[in-house]
Amino acid sequence: MRTGEAKAMATQQETKATGIGAVEVPGRDNQMNCADFQRDLPLIIDSGGSEEQEEHLRTCAVCRDLVNDLRYIADQAKLLVPMLEPSPKVWDGIEEKLKLEGLIKPAQARRTP
Amino acid sequence: MAVFKPVSEGILHVIQSASSITPRLLENLNGDSKRPQLTTPRKMMTSGMPEFEAIERAQQGDGECFEALYSMHKRRVYSLCLRMTGNTAEAEDLTQEAFLQLYRKIATFRGESAFSTWLHRLAVNVVLMHLRKKGLPEVSLQETMEPTEEDGPKKDFGAHDQVLAGSIDRVNLERAIESLPPGYRIIFVLHDVEGYEHNEIAEMMGCSIGNSKSQLHKARMKLRDLLKVTRAERAGARK
Repeated sequence: MRTGEAKAMATQQETKATGIGAVEVPGRDNQMNCADFQRDLPLIIDSGGSEEQEEHLRTCAVCRDLVNDLRYIADQAKLLVPMLEPSPKVWDGIEEKLKLEGLIKPAQARRTP
Repeated sequence: MAVFKPVSEGILHVIQSASSITPRLLENLNGDSKRPQLTTPRKMMTSGMPEFEAIERAQQGDGECFEALYSMHKRRVYSLCLRMTGNTAEAEDLTQEAFLQLYRKIATFRGESAFSTWLHRLAVNVVLMHLRKKGLPEVSLQETMEPTEEDGPKKDFGAHDQVLAGSIDRVNLERAIESLPPGYRIIFVLHDVEGYEHNEIAEMMGCSIGNSKSQLHKARMKLRDLLKVTRAERAGARK
């Protein structure tokens, strides 16, 4: 088997094994592939990667879309605000328990008559 | 007889969600447009009582001030509990437990961090303790950093015209978070929603920083899939 055929087969096998849509770019044999990049992605996505990783990101549309999606999700999550209010029974329960434990001072005690 | 008088009848008039209050609204609520506008939106806005004073009085056992603190912080604590558990009843129980612990421990608050930060951390610990008792897997300590086939991006979702940008609304994101596996959900909520750093999460969860990063990544990947399915379903329904 010729060298070129062997490399092509290896790439196909890698893609199948990882489920990652590796993009084959002629003449980039020595550069980082998608599997390598995505293996390291959990560690670099929020902090930035090496020069080689950043170069892969610039040239690989699949990984770039992935990173953009993940950053978009993180950005949207930061915008979530506390919307819901607990039911009144939550406070009733707190009040009841503190009363039972004798932890609360009656409010009237500190007030002037 | 109720231990606390309703806040509306007491000396305090607590404004909930102070961070969203505009200066104009403050004027109206204060009932005096000549009063200097308050410029610290995260402080409790009361009739002449800033948050630190309410804390001090609650530390001395003042129930009314404690109720005011509850009113101020209940939404954030409840939201945290709800997002971490995905269950309304559990979230309410945990909110109650968090504020009970707050009352018992408030005397130990020394102001070294913001009160909201301190309370929030207390609430997180309450939830994590509860989950440990339930035996739910928070983070598998055996988790490796190696991606599995399931974690990889799906080819179907890799095309340019299918990126998520601009397609997420709050409701869909909340639903997707709720449907995450518990271990992923907790890490995602703590890091991406609540803003904790990986080193803080690792300390709270008793795992490594790398493990926290790995779980967060898997949570985001799972959310990506869920949100794309949701979007595809919505698009199908429109046809």
